[in-house]
Amino acid sequence: MLQTSNYSLVLSLQFLLLSYDLFVNSFSELLRMAPVVQLVLFIIQDIAVLFNIIIIFLMFFNTFIFQAGLVNLLFHKFKGTIILTAMYFALSIFLHVWVMNLRWKDSNRFVWTDGLQTLFVFQRLAAVLYCYFYKRTAVRLGDPRFYQDSVWLRKEFMQTRRTYKWPRHMKKCSTSLIIGDAN
Amino acid sequence: MGRKQVRPPRALPPVPRILGSLFFSFCFIDDIPLSRPKKKKPRTKTMLASASSEGLVQTAVHRPSESSEPPTKEPIEHPEGPVQRRQRKTRLPHELETAFTQKTSSPSLLRNENGINVEPAEEPIIPKPRRKTKKTQPAELHYANELGVEDEDIITDEQRSPEQQSVFTAPTGISQPVGKVFVEKNRRFQATDRSELIKTTENIEMSVDLKPSWTTRDVALSVHRAFRMVGLFSHGFLAGCAVWNIIVIYVLAGDQLSNLSNLLQQYKTLAYPFQSLLYLLLALSTVSAFDRIDFAKTSVAIRNFLALDPTAFASFLYFTALILSLSQQMTSDRIHLYTPSSVNGSLWAAGIEEQVLQPWIMVNLVVAVLVGLSWLFLSYRPGVDLSEELMFSSDVEEYSDKDKGIKASS
Repeated sequence: MLQTSNYSLVLSLQFLLLSYDLFVNSFSELLRMAPVVQLVLFIIQDIAVLFNIIIIFLMFFNTFIFQAGLVNLLFHKFKGTIILTAMYFALSIFLHVWVMNLRWKDSNRFVWTDGLQTLFVFQRLAAVLYCYFYKRTAVRLGDPRFYQDSVWLRKEFMQTRRTYKWPRHMKKCSTSLIIGDAN
Repeated sequence: MGRKQVRPPRALPPVPRILGSLFFSFCFIDDIPLSRPKKKKPRTKTMLASASSEGLVQTAVHRPSESSEPPTKEPIEHPEGPVQRRQRKTRLPHELETAFTQKTSSPSLLRNENGINVEPAEEPIIPKPRRKTKKTQPAELHYANELGVEDEDIITDEQRSPEQQSVFTAPTGISQPVGKVFVEKNRRFQATDRSELIKTTENIEMSVDLKPSWTTRDVALSVHRAFRMVGLFSHGFLAGCAVWNIIVIYVLAGDQLSNLSNLLQQYKTLAYPFQSLLYLLLALSTVSAFDRIDFAKTSVAIRNFLALDPTAFASFLYFTALILSLSQQMTSDRIHLYTPSSVNGSLWAAGIEEQVLQPWIMVNLVVAVLVGLSWLFLSYRPGVDLSEELMFSSDVEEYSDKDKGIKASS
């Protein structure tokens, strides 16, 4: 069972990293007096996103659902967050590399092209969505239902099994398991 | 150390060994270490035995005061003494723990308890403070009981009579209950008030009882509500900022956007900071608005949007405003790096100003309108939060049940 103090600590760390991410996304264009400043800000931002990914996965591993082997259910429940975070991380790195490449010689140069502008818009939009989904997931993982067996969990499992198309070999396996249970 | 010399000798009644040791575990003397009274205990006992009962001690106590009691009385009463004391032990077991000074220094009291139960007029001064303690400390009595020492047993400094002090022959220290409890802190025993100690332990128990009620769900809920408050603030602040921005732009641009070079010169320092602030506030507001409609549950969000739910509509408007605002990043940077066209390497060629600025002003106006409308829609029903209702549904049910219960009881 997740301890309240541990959860509070983890949640505050996650929010701290999210706040830093939002801050850099907002003001990195302003803080470009030297290219090194922007480089350091970008590196820390990417590490923060990576840390957040690690933390959320550690939280997943800590749930009863994961420990019971129902990884698929967990992925189904939080697939939006996982995909969006991965996308945002990729977009961020791509944009940071591009921008730093263009601005390394002269940080006050006008570097914008249509391609960079498009990437910038997508990266910033992904940042907002990432912030929303990540925050939601972090808050949801505080629900004690994820850390204990319950009727809700069984119901969710059955629902996922119905909607998810199992691969053939998995189907066989699952049916044999059910038969075995019945016997 | 002066106290040591002043302390009177006390004769111990024949307390059973176990009870005696129990008693001594509660007894502390301010200056003398704990082991010392234990050494004294057998000495007093042997003294009693050799002098054939308390008589000697009693006389020693009463000698300086020159009591009127004749010494001949003592040998007569002596044989009955131990038997009576045994009877007393069975009748009043708690009295064994009471102050020994009073018993030993007033032998007449023992005798009276025998049969007559009347205190003689000659009795020394000592019983008075006993009554005093009863009167002055009634509120603390229950605290004292919890720690196993009765308040009656506690002897404060005031209770030591001058007669006893003068009788004192050797600097012997006998333990006695005091009003303080010695608690080991940092390898030292420190005096603490019993009542305070009990209060602190009660507080600890209270906090221990309260802790389990604060679950992870409560933490998540409180964080969610805190973020909603931040979002509520950002909605209003963003609307105000956007309106202020568009007013500033139109004022600087002049009538029919005739003075665009003035706008560029004045606004160039403001353009990028405002763009950054706008993104920050838009991001916060969009996340908050998504929280309100529980955007992650797409079906619910779309249904709400199609039903023209103001909250769903506001989140859509915020998202649109965000895209529009981000699309102007390039123009904002161009304004930020503005130099007159006459300057070599200027980004602003002659005649390009209107071509670039007009759409930028329009987009800013649209953003201001969208943001203002969203704020109006959201403040129309500020209490709506589908995320909380869906994510913490069981919690919400509990709260509503509690509310119902409270209403019913009132």
